[in-house]
Amino acid sequence: MAHVPTVFDSVANVIAVGVLLAEFGMFRASMVDSQLRLYAVQSWLVAALAAVVAATRHVPSLYALAIVSAVLKAIVVPWIMLRFLHRADVDLARISKVRVSSIVLTGIAVAAIGFFAIGSLRIQSPVLPSAALAIAAGEVLVAFLLIIARTDIVSQAVGIFSLENGVFVASLVLAWGLPILLALALVFDLLVAVLVFAIVIRSLHHQEDTLSAEVLDRLKG
Amino acid sequence: MSPAAVNAVQVLTIALGAPFVSGAVARMEAVIQGRHGPRILQPYHDLAKLFRKETLAPRGSTWVFVWAPLGAFTAYLVVPLLIPVLTSYPLPLGYMGDIIGGGFVLALAGFCVALAAAESGGPYAQLGSSRAMTFGALVEPSILFIVFTVGLITSTDLPYALAATVRSSFGEIVRPAHVLAAAAFFMVVLADTGRIPVETHTGTLEFGMIDEARAFEHSGPLFALMKWGSAMKQFILYTIFVNVFIAPWGLASSGAPQSVALAIAALFLKALALGAVFAILDNSFAKLRLFKITDFMAAAFLIAVMAVLIFYLGGG
Repeated sequence: MAHVPTVFDSVANVIAVGVLLAEFGMFRASMVDSQLRLYAVQSWLVAALAAVVAATRHVPSLYALAIVSAVLKAIVVPWIMLRFLHRADVDLARISKVRVSSIVLTGIAVAAIGFFAIGSLRIQSPVLPSAALAIAAGEVLVAFLLIIARTDIVSQAVGIFSLENGVFVASLVLAWGLPILLALALVFDLLVAVLVFAIVIRSLHHQEDTLSAEVLDRLKG
Repeated sequence: MSPAAVNAVQVLTIALGAPFVSGAVARMEAVIQGRHGPRILQPYHDLAKLFRKETLAPRGSTWVFVWAPLGAFTAYLVVPLLIPVLTSYPLPLGYMGDIIGGGFVLALAGFCVALAAAESGGPYAQLGSSRAMTFGALVEPSILFIVFTVGLITSTDLPYALAATVRSSFGEIVRPAHVLAAAAFFMVVLADTGRIPVETHTGTLEFGMIDEARAFEHSGPLFALMKWGSAMKQFILYTIFVNVFIAPWGLASSGAPQSVALAIAALFLKALALGAVFAILDNSFAKLRLFKITDFMAAAFLIAVMAVLIFYLGGG
C-alpha cells in the first residue's frame, strides 16, 4: 500500500491543482471575458488556500491576506478589466494561435518539467506540503505558455495576473511568515500593475486601433 | 445465499434495473425542463413492444447483422461479474478479470455494436459507428491513466481493491490522485454514455449523433437488445463510478439475503443520485460542436495525467 498523505496535505494539494487546472482552462477560453472569469475562480482558490493555511496552521495574518487577495484579485481586478473591455469595444474573439488539444498536451509536458524540477529540490516547509511548491512552479510555467500562445495583449495581461497567482501559492509555501504589511504591499503591487496595463492597453487601442500583438510587433520607430 | 447466487443476483440487478435507471433519469430531465415526461417504467414497455415485433434485415447484410447485437448484449452481461455491484468482498468470478479485463469486455461490446452498424449499410448507422470508434480512441488514453492511478494507489488493478481503499480512511478520499482520477472518470462516463456536452442523447438530428445513430437500421428484438444493452452500459458505468470511486458504502459484507437486498436498494439510490447530477448537467450546458469534442477529451486526459504526476511528486 502506498503512502497516504494527511488530510490537510491532500486538501492543500487539491486546491493547488485546482489553481493549475484553472490555468489550463484559460487555454480553452476563446474570449477574454471567459478567461477573466477563470482568473476570478483561480483567485478564489488561492484565497481559499491562504484561509485553509491560516486556520489549520494558526497564522492569523494569513486571514487578512486571504481576504484582501479575494477582494482584490477575485472581484476588483476582473471588474476593472471587464469594464475597461466593454468600454473599449474591441473584438474579443479569436485570441489564440494554437489548437486547444495540442497546446494542452504541450502544457502537460511543461507542467511536468516544473513539477519534477522543483520537486527534486525537496524543499520542506512547516505550513504546506512541498508538492504544493512544485505544483505552483508548474502553474507558473503553464502561465508562461499561455502568454506565448496568445496573440491578444489583453489576454497576455490576464496571463501575467494568473502567473502572479502561481507565485502567490509558491510564496505561501516558502514565505508564509512574511510580515503582513510587506505581504499586503505586494498584493497592492498587483493593483498598480493592473492599472498600468489598463492604461497602456487603452492608449495602444486608441492610437493603433488594434490589440493584436502580431500587429503591434510591426510598429518600429 | 451462496456466492454463486449473489453473482447471479449482481447480473440480474444490472440487467433488470438498467431500464428503470434510464427511465428515471429521463423523467428527472423532463421535470427539470418543466415537462411531465414519460413514465419511469416506459423503457420496459418499449422493450416489451420491440420484442413482439418482427426482425427485418437490410438486403445484403450477413449473419453479423444478427449476431453482433447478441454478442454486445452478452458482453454487457459479463461485466457485472467483474465489478463490485452488491458486495464489498470479491465474489468467486470477481477475479476473472481486473479493470483492464472489464474494459476489454466493454470495448468488445462497443466493437460488436459498431460491426452491426457497419454491416447494415445505412449511412447514418455507419457515420455513428465511425464517430463512436474515433472518439472512443480519444477517451482511451484517459482511461489508461485512470487505471495507472488506481494501480499506483492500491498496487493492484482490481476494482474491489480500490473500493476497499476508499472505504479505509478519509485521507484516501481527499488525496489528490484519487480526486483527480474520479473527476477524470466522471468525464469518461459523460462521454461514454452519450451525454451533453458530447452528445444529445434525446436529439433527433442525425448529424450530431454518435452512439444513438448506430442502432438506426435494427428493428424488433435486435433493436430491443441494442437499446437494453446501452441502458445496461450506462448502469454499469454508474455502478463503477459510485461503487468503486466515490461512494463504495452500503455494499453487502456477507451473502445474507437481507444485506444483499439492502445493497440493491442502496445501489439504486446511489445510481439515481448520480443520474440526477447527469440530468442537471444535461440541462445546464450546450452540446459541443463535433470538432470541439477533442477539447473535452483533452481535459479528461489532462486531469488523469495530473493524477499520476501528483502521485509521483509525492503529493498524492
